[in-house]
Amino acid sequence: MTCGHKSSQIEQTRPLVYLALLGLILLWPLPSHAYAGPGAGFAVLSSFWTLFVAFLYSVYAFFVWPFRQLFRLLRRRKAYGKAQIKRAVILGFDGMDPELTERFIAEGRLPNLARLRQQGTFRKLRTTYPAISPVAWSTFMTGVNPGKHNIYDFLARDLSNYLPYLSSAEIKGPKHSWKIGKYNIPLGGARIRGMRRGTPFWHWLGEAGIFCSVLRVPVTFPPEEFSGVLLSGMCVPDLKGSQGTFCFCSTRPSGEKFREGGVRVPIERRGSRYTSYVPGPEDPLAGGSGSELRVNFQIDPEPRTNQARLTVDSETFTLKVGDYSAWIPIKFKSGIGFSAHGICRFYLKEVSPEIEIYVTPVNIDPARPDLPISHPVTYSIYLAKLFGPYATLGLAEDTWALNEKVLDDQAFLAQCYANHEDRERMLFDALEKTQQGLCACVFDTTDRVQHMFWRYLDEDHPAARGVPRDQRPSVIQDLYARMDELIGRVMKQIDDHTLLMIVSDHGFKSFARCVNLNAWLHQNGYLALKSGKTESGDWFDDVDWSRTRAYTMGLNGLYVNLKGREREGIVEPGAEADSLKDELRRKLDGLSDPASGRAGITGVFDCDAVYAGPYVDNAPDLLVGYGDGFRASWDSVMGKVTSQIFEDNLKAWSGDHCIDPRLVPGVLFCNQKISDEKPAIVDVAPTILKLFGLALPRHLDGKPWTVGAAIHATSAATAP
Amino acid sequence: MGSLGMNIPSGIVVGISLVIGLVMVIVFAYTSDQKAIHIAKDHLKAHLLALRLFQDQIQVVLRSYGRIVLATGSYLRLAFKPLLFVIVPMTFLIVQLDRYLGSVPLSTGQAFLVKARMDNADSLNQASLQLPDGLTSSAPAVHVPAESEVAWRVVAEKAGEYVVHVQVADQLFAKRVIVGSGMPRLSSVRLRGKFWERIFVSAEPALPDNNFVGAIDVQYPARNIAFAGVEWNWIWLFFILSLAAGFLFKSILGIEI
Repeated sequence: MTCGHKSSQIEQTRPLVYLALLGLILLWPLPSHAYAGPGAGFAVLSSFWTLFVAFLYSVYAFFVWPFRQLFRLLRRRKAYGKAQIKRAVILGFDGMDPELTERFIAEGRLPNLARLRQQGTFRKLRTTYPAISPVAWSTFMTGVNPGKHNIYDFLARDLSNYLPYLSSAEIKGPKHSWKIGKYNIPLGGARIRGMRRGTPFWHWLGEAGIFCSVLRVPVTFPPEEFSGVLLSGMCVPDLKGSQGTFCFCSTRPSGEKFREGGVRVPIERRGSRYTSYVPGPEDPLAGGSGSELRVNFQIDPEPRTNQARLTVDSETFTLKVGDYSAWIPIKFKSGIGFSAHGICRFYLKEVSPEIEIYVTPVNIDPARPDLPISHPVTYSIYLAKLFGPYATLGLAEDTWALNEKVLDDQAFLAQCYANHEDRERMLFDALEKTQQGLCACVFDTTDRVQHMFWRYLDEDHPAARGVPRDQRPSVIQDLYARMDELIGRVMKQIDDHTLLMIVSDHGFKSFARCVNLNAWLHQNGYLALKSGKTESGDWFDDVDWSRTRAYTMGLNGLYVNLKGREREGIVEPGAEADSLKDELRRKLDGLSDPASGRAGITGVFDCDAVYAGPYVDNAPDLLVGYGDGFRASWDSVMGKVTSQIFEDNLKAWSGDHCIDPRLVPGVLFCNQKISDEKPAIVDVAPTILKLFGLALPRHLDGKPWTVGAAIHATSAATAP
Repeated sequence: MGSLGMNIPSGIVVGISLVIGLVMVIVFAYTSDQKAIHIAKDHLKAHLLALRLFQDQIQVVLRSYGRIVLATGSYLRLAFKPLLFVIVPMTFLIVQLDRYLGSVPLSTGQAFLVKARMDNADSLNQASLQLPDGLTSSAPAVHVPAESEVAWRVVAEKAGEYVVHVQVADQLFAKRVIVGSGMPRLSSVRLRGKFWERIFVSAEPALPDNNFVGAIDVQYPARNIAFAGVEWNWIWLFFILSLAAGFLFKSILGIEI
């Protein structure tokens, strides 16, 4: 995480840069410039340098252009020769719900989607099992079921210790290090391994010479090479290597720890000033001792004006209470030559009588990425130079901070929409740059805002019972209207030969009641605790594996403690395991909530029947489909056994989709007619490949849709 | 003079360059819109990267070239403001420095020309040169009617600071001549009127008005400064070193230029 990644392109051009600089020094300056002094020299040198590089590149491009065109012609003939479309624009709105969309269309809030429905297509889009974003978007891009792409949840379990790990990517330290005394000098950079299998459809398009711009599609970290540009989305870690760890600095002493997603840091008084720090990644020189790097900052409170002046490194800025800073670059230093570059935003929560400051997770700096977050590496740099710093963290909207009441509704929304605006700018740049080919962009805002504000949409959500109906903000209505307005602007940018597709990976439902499946397993004799224990700690602390037959962790997976697979498995594979799965399915399907009598679970699915492919062995044994209004409890997700099976969800995170996939289909809008009545997200990849005239790889599970006659046959017009 | 003497001019140029580089960077920081310059430079870099990222898309490439030109113009406009603050003092400073560092004094035994430029060619025959002890004329005067100029070849017998006089009719016009070594303040020309020209090229009082002589000129040899194994004109060396110092200090001070 510490050693800077250097673009191979930058490396390649370095000799050219030196040569050009030498030429510049020798040939360019005139005595008149010297007489104007270095001030003029700086300006002339810098601007000339830019033009000079551009000129050199032009010369290079001019000479290689015929060869490149010939090469492209040969490659593109394969694709555009049979293409039905010139360009495909796919807008992904994570979690956009078809029922809500229909409701808001009927209320006249979504004129552009209404127009798309009228002129083209609107369908519910069948999602994946389970209906979780990394799973569904992996299927979207690969056109295969999870048994072939290996993503079943955000988390997967380590069979050797029943602990979770991130399912999409593995980040390890350098392979070799050099130990000198107490220091451990890493030799080489971090090792990153993508865990998602399958091939994204833009890879095939790129191979055929069709340019693709892909923005923020989940599970694209680490970015894979292909012919196009890609900015990674969900699953990109923060600089600590986590999926987002905020920092809450306060003068109020508190021994409480956040359950997940954040750390408390004290603000200490030193004279008239206050100091605190932003925790960073582990010190690479400390040899795994766990000591973290820190960046200190100073706070000068001005209670009379309700603001404070913050100094971080050489940057000084003033914040009013309730204001966010811009993205502030911070550099974690560890000895000579080792540093990690990040960016974060500061939010002044309170300045008097106490001082409280929220700091976003430290995002990888897109202008100096220490880990690759785009392909090519220069693409994230390009976007940062063009638009300024932007959030790179996969889950950049800090839902944990709102859940933990560190941020309030307003502050959370401000953060969401600031990120959203950055992504809109990137989308419109990609649209401009991709006049032919594929432009795909996924917006997370829809998912995060619905997760956190569903409580105001529900009639009687436990997390909003204290808020009178007429005082509830229309956050979700506004969100959909805002997305509709964005769609309208995109529709203005496209022509008749462009296919516009709007998809979501799943829909949304209320999450009012929590189901602790581990508690149910415990109370029904499938999971045993150590003698004398009535509850476990996180991650199965105090679980007696020698007497446990089944357990759950993550959002939907249920696992048999299988002998020979799990470290302390006791269930024999084969008949015994099959019998146990049948028994669990029978008992769990229709499990009702004693408080309301409603079904907390509406389906339990055997993964052997649901999935097919080389990675099925990594799947859970059963998938639990929770009913409308229910979801796995916060404790159950973290492998904790409690005494209550059902309980109210009192957190701001009040809407969810990790339930029975049949209840939460996504949306499919298209500016063309699609004849299929029951399209699925797995069909998107083969449909796009077919529309561009490519042969479909045999291993795809999706079936291409018949996209209507309204599409103009553009093969002749678009062939290069 | 020895080796130390040889090194003094280069040492002075290095020292001045470092100081000027630092001062210029600081002045630049306080007189420019640092944020706007940062953004302008970032945009330039972005458009350069776009050339590479979207190289197969000719429309994008052409647009990027256009944007590079526009962004360069924008950057130059932003850099122009600090330039206004420094250009006048820098120009006067460099003019003064040039009088010490630009030329070397005449050598003993070395022939040099003293030229007088008259208002018209008719008065050339009236002009004569009066030399002090230590300077001797080595050739008859040469008249160049086309230039209204008369030139005398002179040789110095010993080092010293001399005043030669050009006599026209009954009027005498003095010109300082320095023979020797070191870094005295040298003035190659004495002018009549021409205020701005005198500011830039002469270090002597103006010639009196209402006379026939427009200028008296003594050409000193240019000074070459040994630095890094290369003989430099001081202004080139200053240009490069002050730029290098500027780039060094801007990195240290975190100033955007």
